[in-house]
Amino acid sequence: MTNAIRMRQVWTIARLQLTRVFFSKRSFWVYLLALFPSVIFLGHGVEVKWKRERWGAQKTESGILQSIRRGDTDGEVLQKAGMPITDFRSGAFRRRREIGGENEEREIERRYMMFFDGTNRWDLRFENGILQSKRSRPLNDFDEDRQIFAGVFQYFYLRLAIFFGCLGIFMNLFRGEMMDKTLHFWFLIPARREVLLAGKYLAGLIASVLIFGTGAALSFALMLWPQDPAQLSAFWQVEGAVHLFWYAAAAGLACAGYGSVFLASGLLLRNPILPAVVILLWESINGILPTLLQKLSVLYYVQALCPTPPPVNANAPLLVRLLSAPAEPPAAVVSVLGVMAVTAVVLWISSKAVRRLEINYGVE
Amino acid sequence: MSTTTPEVEFDDVSKFYGEVLGVNRVTLRIPPGITSLVGPNGSGKTTLMNLMAGLIHADRGALSVRGFSPREPEQLMRVLGYATQYDAAPRGTTGMDFVTTGLMLAGFPAGEARERAVKALERVRMQEAASRKVASYSKGMRQRIRLAQAIAHDPEVLVLDEPLNGLDPLVRAETIALFREFAAMGRHVILSSHVLQEVDILSDQVILIANGMIIAEGQIRSVREEIHEHPSQYLVRCRDASRVASLLFELDHITQVQIQDDRHGLLVMTRNRREFSRALTRVSLAGHLVESVVPADENMGALYEYLIGGDR
Amino acid sequence: MAVYRRGYQRYQGPLTGEWDRLLVLPRFAWESLMQQRLIAILFVLALFWPAGCALFIYFSHHLDLLQGFGGAASNIFQVNGEFFFVFMNVQSFAAIVLSAFAGPSLIAPDLANGALPLYFSRPLTRTTYVFSRMFVLAGVLSPVTWIPGLLLFAMQSGMAGWGWFAENYRLGLAVMGGFFLWILLVSLIAMACSAYVRWRVVAGALVLGLFFILGGAAELANAVLRVDWASALNPGRSMEQVWRAMLGLEPLPGPDAWQCAVCLGLMVAGLAVVLRRKLRPVEVVS
Repeated sequence: MTNAIRMRQVWTIARLQLTRVFFSKRSFWVYLLALFPSVIFLGHGVEVKWKRERWGAQKTESGILQSIRRGDTDGEVLQKAGMPITDFRSGAFRRRREIGGENEEREIERRYMMFFDGTNRWDLRFENGILQSKRSRPLNDFDEDRQIFAGVFQYFYLRLAIFFGCLGIFMNLFRGEMMDKTLHFWFLIPARREVLLAGKYLAGLIASVLIFGTGAALSFALMLWPQDPAQLSAFWQVEGAVHLFWYAAAAGLACAGYGSVFLASGLLLRNPILPAVVILLWESINGILPTLLQKLSVLYYVQALCPTPPPVNANAPLLVRLLSAPAEPPAAVVSVLGVMAVTAVVLWISSKAVRRLEINYGVE
Repeated sequence: MSTTTPEVEFDDVSKFYGEVLGVNRVTLRIPPGITSLVGPNGSGKTTLMNLMAGLIHADRGALSVRGFSPREPEQLMRVLGYATQYDAAPRGTTGMDFVTTGLMLAGFPAGEARERAVKALERVRMQEAASRKVASYSKGMRQRIRLAQAIAHDPEVLVLDEPLNGLDPLVRAETIALFREFAAMGRHVILSSHVLQEVDILSDQVILIANGMIIAEGQIRSVREEIHEHPSQYLVRCRDASRVASLLFELDHITQVQIQDDRHGLLVMTRNRREFSRALTRVSLAGHLVESVVPADENMGALYEYLIGGDR
Repeated sequence: MAVYRRGYQRYQGPLTGEWDRLLVLPRFAWESLMQQRLIAILFVLALFWPAGCALFIYFSHHLDLLQGFGGAASNIFQVNGEFFFVFMNVQSFAAIVLSAFAGPSLIAPDLANGALPLYFSRPLTRTTYVFSRMFVLAGVLSPVTWIPGLLLFAMQSGMAGWGWFAENYRLGLAVMGGFFLWILLVSLIAMACSAYVRWRVVAGALVLGLFFILGGAAELANAVLRVDWASALNPGRSMEQVWRAMLGLEPLPGPDAWQCAVCLGLMVAGLAVVLRRKLRPVEVVS
């Protein structure tokens, strides 16, 4: 049998498997994972555009808002700045404090007001009618949005959505069929097991890249949608296409890497929870591992491709910051080749495993 | 089609599931024709079939199916069709999809795959239900759709795990005819069955298996001849049964003679088939009309009883 | 007379009540769960923190043993609402892990092996079946949640005296009530996941993933929309807010306890709908 025929077999297997991956009911949650950020970014875009229009009609002079000081009463603020755009009171609660060595408990009622000066929103927080804090921030900040997208991509897409999505898609290719007692159907075709593996992996890869790549690209587009046209145009002229390309490449490589790992786990182990938890932990602590061990991770290479570093929450506990710290990034070429090398090694191990795999539905 | 070695060969094959024995040191040569695997539940019939199809691998020994190793599905699956015992089909698949997909995976172009699928479905009388989902089929329909998939690519070796289970009498007869047609073309039809009467009717040879070991193999008659510890049984129809009975009973090799209720038949048990044959000739020459002589235990039921016991 | 009339005689004796039958399933399920090594290990691990908390309470009443801390000991070793909140937080995570491993083995095998028709051909309703399975999980989760919580409360009351108890009895009620709510939620999530995917191990992963992903999704929505109400989508965070209200503590930023309670109520309703749709004694053609 020639390699050309084997390639055709790979494609036939992939095509048949793809239909199942795309249209099975089980895929619903994968779509949900991939498209959830897009929905949120769409919501944000609609909100920004709507607020810009509506709040603009009720704006307060920025000088007046700047003159408001901590300690002012809510009445004074209303007198100076006029009607706020939002005015909200929280339920009362009791707070115990130690003052002069004695515990004092008092009831607190909070009030929140928000004003708009045409560009920035001003958030004021009162406790028992006294202004405690005042904070202003732009209604929409492009740099901040890009940072948030970077965070969403690296923390939500790479670490959660693509991770769990690939877990679902690729584990299902062999282990899921074993559970459904349908794997023998594939083993009875006149194709080498390696060809079957390649076909199934290709199907999983195409499906995951399309689903998560589209999801990430859509989120990126929706993040850009409400931005100022001038800023947007400058962004596209300088780095927009490059950013989009590297995010897409990172998503694709993450799918390829995680996909191969979960395909192999599905072939080698019966219980996917334990390897999934171990891989999740391994990927999480990647940033603090020795250099050599860092390179045995998908996230290490993939994160390095992301064009914008994610925001680090300075208020997060030390352990959380430690776990989410990105590793020293390798060069882009090294990243791409690294993931491909990890994938190739894992697929080679899988090909050995699939040749040994037996139909034994009774033990599942 | 390739026909390197037209036999299915097992050479000292053993298979263990952990510490549980699947089959132990099986050495077999299965010639073309209809071969039935018979044995109690858990005796190793399905294990043998799965080994032939490469769904499981032998821990020891070697086997080949018409010269192809089960570890090389690329060649083997072109000549082998297997209707497994597994009831499930991929989710959401219709009967037509189920058969067509198998053919497409076997390398047939879409058009031809569809044509062959239609033919195979017609042969198992499933054309009307072909557009329904397999999950909605009855047990018998699932059986037939698996059979359709196994025969659709016109294999040289047909392996069938309990293929007659759940079939109605009409379809059962047609299915048996189909097996005979395959066998008549010099192909292998290897099946397992619990219905011993059917095994009697359709098998060219049988393989009796118990506890993972081959107890007997060959044609039913030759297997029966090998069983010396049980006397052979014959049904003799004659006019004067009591007279013939008294003549036969005088012979050493006759262990028991029972006269049937209608007084025209005898059930004779003998330890020497050849001597019994000669004795019957002498009885006939002595003027007693012997209408027919039929072996009463040259069937699977008797073999099963003698070799495996009553535990079916 | 038809033949069956001669041979068949219907059972005429007394039947147990519907709610008595609820206990038939848990009786065997507890036994088989505890025979699983992993569950037993997790169960034991989950009791380490309560043991540590008991030590904490003991030391808080024996500050003389902690001279190394100096005057700070009295500030650190305080048994109050915050103490019980931290205790509940840690034990709630233990409950998630236990339910991820123990929960799916209760329902998924029944669905995968078509055992529901067998159950429902007995005088057992779907509701009774769900309650009995939930009862199994409640039985497994109680010894690591509200029971040690109440024991700690009793220990503190015993050591601090009647005055402390009279002033803080709501802490005991909050621990018990808060954990009851958590057990209800976690059990429903575990059962709904296993009814949804029918594959025991995947259901376990789904239970864990659900908590991770909902937490991540809530943070994502908060960050993108610059809000804090999305925290209510995170069941863990919502429950924390409800617990803080029950314990009389300062609320966390974001939706208040009532809003969180409504969100949790909606989640519970959604999970009940999933169970109602999936637990059917018929084969669904897919």
